[in-house]
Amino acid sequence: MRITKQARREAKQLFRAAVVNGVLDDTRARKVVQLLLEKKPRGYLAVLTHFQRLLQLDIERRSARIESAQPLSAENQATVKQNLSGVYGQGLTYAFTDSPALIGGLRIKVGSDVYDGTVRGRLDRLQDSF
Amino acid sequence: MKTLLEEIEAQIEGAKSTPAKVNVGTVREIGDGVARIEGLTDCMANEMVDFGSGVFGLALNLEETEVGCIILGDYSKIHEGQEVRTTGRLLSVPVGMSLLGRVVDSLGQPLDGKGPIKSETFYPVEKIAPGIIRRKSVSQPVQTGIMAVDAMIPIGRGQRELIIGDRSTGKTTLGIDTIINQARINRAADAAGDKDYRKLYCIYVAVGQKQSNVARVIDVLEKEGAMPYTIIVSAPAADTATNQYLAPFGGASMGEWFMDNGMDALIIYDDLSKHAVAYRQVSLVLKRPSGREAYPGDVFYLHSRLLERAARTSEKYGNGSLTALPIIETQLGDVSAYIPTNVISITDGQIYLETDLFYQGVRPAISVGLSVSRVGSAAQVKAMKQVAGRVKLDLAQFRELAAFAQFGSDLDPQTQAKIERGKRIVEIFKQPQYNPIALEIQVSVLWGAQNGYFDDVPVEKVKDFQNKLSEYLTSRKGDLMKRVAKEQTISDALANDLKAAVVEFKQTYSTK
Repeated sequence: MRITKQARREAKQLFRAAVVNGVLDDTRARKVVQLLLEKKPRGYLAVLTHFQRLLQLDIERRSARIESAQPLSAENQATVKQNLSGVYGQGLTYAFTDSPALIGGLRIKVGSDVYDGTVRGRLDRLQDSF
Repeated sequence: MKTLLEEIEAQIEGAKSTPAKVNVGTVREIGDGVARIEGLTDCMANEMVDFGSGVFGLALNLEETEVGCIILGDYSKIHEGQEVRTTGRLLSVPVGMSLLGRVVDSLGQPLDGKGPIKSETFYPVEKIAPGIIRRKSVSQPVQTGIMAVDAMIPIGRGQRELIIGDRSTGKTTLGIDTIINQARINRAADAAGDKDYRKLYCIYVAVGQKQSNVARVIDVLEKEGAMPYTIIVSAPAADTATNQYLAPFGGASMGEWFMDNGMDALIIYDDLSKHAVAYRQVSLVLKRPSGREAYPGDVFYLHSRLLERAARTSEKYGNGSLTALPIIETQLGDVSAYIPTNVISITDGQIYLETDLFYQGVRPAISVGLSVSRVGSAAQVKAMKQVAGRVKLDLAQFRELAAFAQFGSDLDPQTQAKIERGKRIVEIFKQPQYNPIALEIQVSVLWGAQNGYFDDVPVEKVKDFQNKLSEYLTSRKGDLMKRVAKEQTISDALANDLKAAVVEFKQTYSTK
């Protein structure tokens, strides 16, 4: 489906309307979608598609993925959460996963920022430097 | 003492290695040498991005949610969803003396199989041109070795002179001749141990050329022994549009190194029409809005920022120079097309080559009326100025009168004389390719022509007369030629000696 410039603009406006104090408000976002589906304005599908994309990008921006070689203890998780909210502010969603391929250490991805302190990452960098 | 050690130990233990922060994105779309990447929120314009496994890209479009990148190198291994990271570096090319004699690609990687290039200095490909404080007006000549150019359209070091003409009118040849002449002068200066002579290093940038043409150019330069003073940057037609777009900028960086280090360099962009086409392709696949003839809006800025990098810097800032000879190919002699007018307005003059003249046998086919050099006359050698000051006017008058004389009406002796003189000057300016003429010979021959020593030679014999006179002057009057080259101005004494030499030669010539 082709998303016109106007659809983009409208989706952006709706997205802004769903943001309260710089943080996306879930109920407002749901309401926007509901209203669009009820009223079916011209080109509403394109607007919805772009709205979905904007939401997805926003969610990605505000989500922290923490990978570790071994599962983190509740205490460690709390420390990580505290430190990250210090840097990025409130409103982050956290996802903890464990992948033994990292060998050791943590890899944290928030939005498009990556903090890589894993042994795997260091080995990869070493390999690249040759 | 022990407490100090303990303190340091405690501090070392306390210091943790903090993992570096990198900014990443994911490839969303890939094709035609261009990738669209989601994320990369901290990416800067013109920054290099790392696709991993040695493939890099250049961020050209920074959009709201995406970054548009052109990919340097092989993009067939990049796939959707791949992670890309910013590097914080600008695209750079190796620069320095070690590049001389080499054939490299747009990024300075060797193509000639002569091993890696040992260079420790790198220059960014996009560099801001020197500002007005660092600059100085053009004052030293570039001897092209082409008589018509050196006499009528003089080029100075730091000038930008456009070579423009239709296909196969000898545009590249003009550039190659200039490179060969520089090599000859440089070699002569080396042989004579002349430390004062400022060597002119050459860079030939081939953009969108046929590989066979580039190979032929290299062959000619090698045969003439010009390669030790030359760098060839090659982005042939088979190369990606990205590389074709970057090649002139990479070449300019290599030239700027010479300028920054107090040396002189000459760069030939062959040719900027194809460069504009490559840039148009890159811009269109990046979905930038297109303008006239589908070129993007910044195609003027593309060429102006490239050509502005040619400059002459003042003594305080190194006294170096970078001379640019961009080449533009026109279609059916149309100089009012988009790219030609752009480049004409950017450069300090143009050498216009005409198809008609070329097929009439006037080679180099320089159209005297349309060719100008706006700043070069300040750099022209005084002796040349003395003998060639009126040539351009004479030739222009001759063209006008020649058209008039075709009606076959009776002409007064003065007009007749002008036409006869014009015919001889046209003959004198004919010159075979790859055969540059030394300055002192040019001056002496033109002096002879200006003082009427060619007037009684039949037109069809003029070329023969000129060749034999040149030969005679080089082989028999070497000392006189050295004086002309050294004094660089024709004093009365020198004029007398020249007169004696030419008269002496004429006696031997007429008896043959």
